[in-house]
Amino acid sequence: MFRRSLTRALLACVALAAFAPTLAAADTPVHVRVIKGSRKGPAKMDPKLDSLKRQLSPLAYVQWEQASEESKTLVKGKTDYVLLPDGDQVALTVMEEAPTKVTFEVVLVSRKTQSKLTLEKGQRLVHQVTGEKDGSAFFLTVIAWPDKT
Amino acid sequence: MADDDLPLVEAAKAGDGPAFRALVVRYQRKVYAVALGIVKDHDLAWDVAQEAFVRVHRSLPGFKGESAFSTWLFRITTHLSIDAVRKERQAQKEDMDEVREADLGDAADGILATALGNDPGENALRRELAGKMEAALATLPEKHRTILVLREIEGLSYEELAERLGIHKGTVMSRLFHARKKMQAALREYAGLEARDGAALTEGEEP
Amino acid sequence: MKACQRFAPMIGSRQGELHPADALALAAHVSTCPGCQAFAADVAASSALFAEALLRRASARDFAPFVDQVMARTGLSPQAAPPRAADPVTGWFRLRWRTLLALAVPVVAAAALFMYVRAERGDDPPEQDLASLELSTEGGIGAVLPTQDGPVILLQPDDDESGS
Repeated sequence: MFRRSLTRALLACVALAAFAPTLAAADTPVHVRVIKGSRKGPAKMDPKLDSLKRQLSPLAYVQWEQASEESKTLVKGKTDYVLLPDGDQVALTVMEEAPTKVTFEVVLVSRKTQSKLTLEKGQRLVHQVTGEKDGSAFFLTVIAWPDKT
Repeated sequence: MADDDLPLVEAAKAGDGPAFRALVVRYQRKVYAVALGIVKDHDLAWDVAQEAFVRVHRSLPGFKGESAFSTWLFRITTHLSIDAVRKERQAQKEDMDEVREADLGDAADGILATALGNDPGENALRRELAGKMEAALATLPEKHRTILVLREIEGLSYEELAERLGIHKGTVMSRLFHARKKMQAALREYAGLEARDGAALTEGEEP
Repeated sequence: MKACQRFAPMIGSRQGELHPADALALAAHVSTCPGCQAFAADVAASSALFAEALLRRASARDFAPFVDQVMARTGLSPQAAPPRAADPVTGWFRLRWRTLLALAVPVVAAAALFMYVRAERGDDPPEQDLASLELSTEGGIGAVLPTQDGPVILLQPDDDESGS
């Protein structure tokens, strides 16, 4: 009886305290890179992209360099924007988040492209975000919980 | 105005199509969720959500930024949603907003919280209840659906709710009380979490 | 019970929404009233669920046609507003079958390229769980390459690209 009352009292305190989530928001830490792949020139991989070597290896691009990277925290349901070198933007949203999975939505606003993907923990998404020009294209890479992988 | 909306809004006001498109993409799901909560019907919510953006686009030149863009967008969405169900509102006998003694002391209070527990993570009942939430919401009268949606999805404060709905703050609080009681009762029913024999749970009983 | 009549509607308030004296009186009442404690616990439990449930429903819906329909209705798109399909999913495919057909060609080509590259390198196709993928697009996606480390999404070639 006492324990049940105590539990209810504690829950009541939570309800009375500064409890104002407007969404069931979960914060998902992500590491985001913008990288450039080129078909031309000698094979060369930016040392910063060593961890992506295996994932990028099937592609026909032989040179890879990193344009930018940042660590950020995404709130579920709230769209964040990643700026591309050409001034365009990619809209990135965490749609769902569970202990071992995360669902991302990637929108290339200017290209009318919208993808929704569910990844397992430890997986990284690599998404082409610009068309190919002179044999080069930009890609966005996103990995959730980067420190925990 | 949210910092990241401002550049898009200014560009859209100047006639930049892609900027307006980006605003639509940014808010489409939340606008739809707000409309769905009030109108109940998925196709109607889709139409209402689209119409909200059309109205916003039409009125953009006159938008002065006195409120946040999102606030303005959701205000339009709410009005359109309520208009869409106006017939339902007129047909229903108006529920009293005041809180009477008979509204209190529900023997089943607390069952939801006990069943859901404190861990919001992997909880099968939580997922099941989330799935039934929409059906439970649909059983509520329009004014209770509306106030719950505005409070829980749009996150409006008591003051903002009073202004949006044109009612006193005290009425906001009592209407929310009734809406929550009805929602909780509907959820408990869907999840099969009724108290036995109308009696309050006592220590040791299974819910 | 009269006290509950006064305080119950205050349950679920956020910080700053109540007069400080009311907030103190509410806390004092709830700490001694099992009924109000129970109601407060249910409010806390169900409030979080509410937004989550509706937004989850919104997330599950295919929004690919939404923005184009809005743009057409506002006159910002050169094409006429497509008719609203009764079923958004099959309607989406009905309206875009030509685009989907055009999409199939580069997907097959990209898949062939992928397998060619892998065969050249002598790697066995990796065994892994494919990331669950929903494609909701007007045909911008050219190919999806599953890899051990996660998916690689390629765009359809632009018409004016200078390729290799």
